[in-house]
Amino acid sequence: MTGSVTAKYREMRVNATDLFDLVLLALLLTCAIGIARLKDLAACAILFSAYSFILCLVWAHRGAPDVAMTEAAVGAGITTVLFLVVISRVGRREK
Amino acid sequence: MNRRRAGRILTAVLIAALAVPLMYGMVQLPAPGHADAPAHTNVSAGYIERGAELGGSENLVTGVLLNFRALDTFGEVLVIFTAWLAVAAVAGTASNAERDPVPPSPVVDYVIRLLGPFIAIFALFVIVNGHVLPGGGFQGGVLLGAMLILLSLVMDAETVARAVSARSWIWLRATGVLVFAMVAVMGLPLAGYLFGLPDEPGLRQVLTVALELGIGIGGGAVLAGLFFAIAGADRS
Repeated sequence: MTGSVTAKYREMRVNATDLFDLVLLALLLTCAIGIARLKDLAACAILFSAYSFILCLVWAHRGAPDVAMTEAAVGAGITTVLFLVVISRVGRREK
Repeated sequence: MNRRRAGRILTAVLIAALAVPLMYGMVQLPAPGHADAPAHTNVSAGYIERGAELGGSENLVTGVLLNFRALDTFGEVLVIFTAWLAVAAVAGTASNAERDPVPPSPVVDYVIRLLGPFIAIFALFVIVNGHVLPGGGFQGGVLLGAMLILLSLVMDAETVARAVSARSWIWLRATGVLVFAMVAVMGLPLAGYLFGLPDEPGLRQVLTVALELGIGIGGGAVLAGLFFAIAGADRS
């Protein structure tokens, strides 16, 4: 009895873990489609930052803290800043 | 109109033709986290079993980055340095960007000035503890670079860029490459091969931290340099 309950609990926990990942992956997909469709480059840069941050959550959740830190610092942080600086020089609208 | 439609249909067919084999491959992959998957049984099993002992750092990722796969990491350090060189060469010829007419709000100004020292200390902590905790040279270096960029948002970017002389900036940016090359060559007498770290634990620890510091300082300076070059604050 206890064994089956434990097994069931384990199964549920795995499912909750997968569900969390699925939600994050759906958000990633939404961001990616948004980046591909938007014409406003500044909005794209911010969406890209959001994309990196969600991906950082995926890494952290899947037990890769080193990659998560890099993703947060490089992907969500520095890359966004560099994108925005370039956009401020070349213009905001895609032609 | 007709041609466009034919093009779309062709695209859809090509995507489907690519998707089918990819999905076929995906289905055959072992479940994520499955202990018997080939990814967990061959090389990585060896790293997990003896990596901390052989690699010389408790954080296995750092052991792989700085010891087992040191050549790859050296390539990465070289790549970001080269990226800065290329950007500086291209952006240096462009006309200077006009100054931002909107001054930062006093709140932003105050918060960034307040946070600056703490970010710097945290960056140093991440760099120096890279061999025991998650993080390391790259992550800490990015934090350092981010701090410099934040400061140049509230102070003038040129003021921050001129805090260090142009010659010193170049040496700072080359720190990662130089320190890594030095440690790599030191591997010849100390360990018997290039990029080797010595077996003596104390010395190995010192060299690991030196590598992290080099990568961190070099990476931070390179990232700040990329920002300065693109923002047009790099002319001295």
